[in-house]
Amino acid sequence: MTFWNILRVLASGAGFTILVTVACTATGLLIGLVTAMLSRLHWRPVEIMIAAYTYTFRGIPVLVLLFIVFFGLPIVGIRVSPFLSMILSLGLISGAYLSEIFRGAMNSVRREEILAAEAMGMTRVQSFLYIVLPQMVRFSIPGMINEFTSVLKYSPFAYTVGIPEIMKEAMGLAAVTLRGLEIYLAVGIIYFIIYRMFCMLFATLEKRYRIPGLSAD
Amino acid sequence: MALIEVKNLVKQFDDKIVLKGVNLELNEGQVKVIMGPSGCGKSTLLRCLNLLVQPTSGQIIFRGEEITRPGVDVRRLRRNIGFVFQHFALYSHLNVQDNVTLGLRKIRKMSAREATDKAFHELERVGMFDHRNKYPAQLSGGQKQRAAIVRALAMDPVVMFLDEPTSSLDPEMAREVVSVINKLYLENVTMLCVTHDAFLAKYISDSIIFLDEGVVLEEDIAERLFYDHPNPRIREFYLSVVDLK
Repeated sequence: MTFWNILRVLASGAGFTILVTVACTATGLLIGLVTAMLSRLHWRPVEIMIAAYTYTFRGIPVLVLLFIVFFGLPIVGIRVSPFLSMILSLGLISGAYLSEIFRGAMNSVRREEILAAEAMGMTRVQSFLYIVLPQMVRFSIPGMINEFTSVLKYSPFAYTVGIPEIMKEAMGLAAVTLRGLEIYLAVGIIYFIIYRMFCMLFATLEKRYRIPGLSAD
Repeated sequence: MALIEVKNLVKQFDDKIVLKGVNLELNEGQVKVIMGPSGCGKSTLLRCLNLLVQPTSGQIIFRGEEITRPGVDVRRLRRNIGFVFQHFALYSHLNVQDNVTLGLRKIRKMSAREATDKAFHELERVGMFDHRNKYPAQLSGGQKQRAAIVRALAMDPVVMFLDEPTSSLDPEMAREVVSVINKLYLENVTMLCVTHDAFLAKYISDSIIFLDEGVVLEEDIAERLFYDHPNPRIREFYLSVVDLK
């Protein structure tokens, strides 16, 4: 089996790796965005709940949370599929980090611009949609890329609950061929290629939505 | 009937009373300037008038309707008032044209075509048409303030509020902005302008309201207010700020 063949076999699991990464990131983005928006309401009970969520989930290792969801919840009668377990655990942890990234980005939007929108007669929802959100997303892009990279690197944990992503394919292949060095080297290369592909995509998006004169050109 | 009538307006922030019973009137087509030392409540007064800051007590009557009563449609009121901020407050992620058209499309509910035509017309009016594709960070201070004035003007407000429109500009850029305000003055646009600019106050206003420690000390024309005023507080203020040579 040549190194090229190893790469081709492992690449068959890349689809699941990308699927897990994109699904977990999307879940994290949704949770992060909602919690960051709720934090703007300045309601004390909501603020406490969000603070509790972000502190808790940033402090729990992904693998521990994944095992709690996948192996722990069935004990209390809740069966969660491997894919959903992965999305829930990694999505919740990613959401906690993204919530902070979004909150920081929202605070970077100049208060006067929001005031100008209100002075013009916009509702709070309008000023959020047309003034805060577009700037917040732009300010968050570097943080989002960072978080996406973390999610991608945590995705191999999916093999522990039986999702046939790259790592699971690699372990199976290594057990049969005993060519661990080449196989795991190939895994590293595939992850790097996926990482670079997404980085290029994000760089294109960042360039497309750059604010002339404001962002570093 | 006055366009805006303010009766005994009070604004208190925690234990600090910023406005202590302000009375004023502004008629349609009139331009009034509010002057006074820093911290006397000028900007707070302006923000109270379009309810960006909620007054503690007193009455504001706008076109015959009391807007300080509960349940007033604040957004409808604000749509009739163009507000220009000291630090421009242009939307940084939008170019000049989009800064102008955003309100027209989302608030005035104009089509994109109508909003663009209107924006082009208003940008021409203040000499900003050639800068329409630039973003705020690519503009000089004077251009930013002119763009901010266009953004407010395009909404066809009943009155324009200008909060220190030249304070953060160097003298050359300030003249750029003053010439735009002068153009509006000659077009009979109703304006209420907070400023420290003695030139603007003297030549581009019908009268000057002098505010000190939250009360209106005097309202008069520049000629009587600037020179040897009997009130020592006013005389002292204008001696320090007015260089009319």
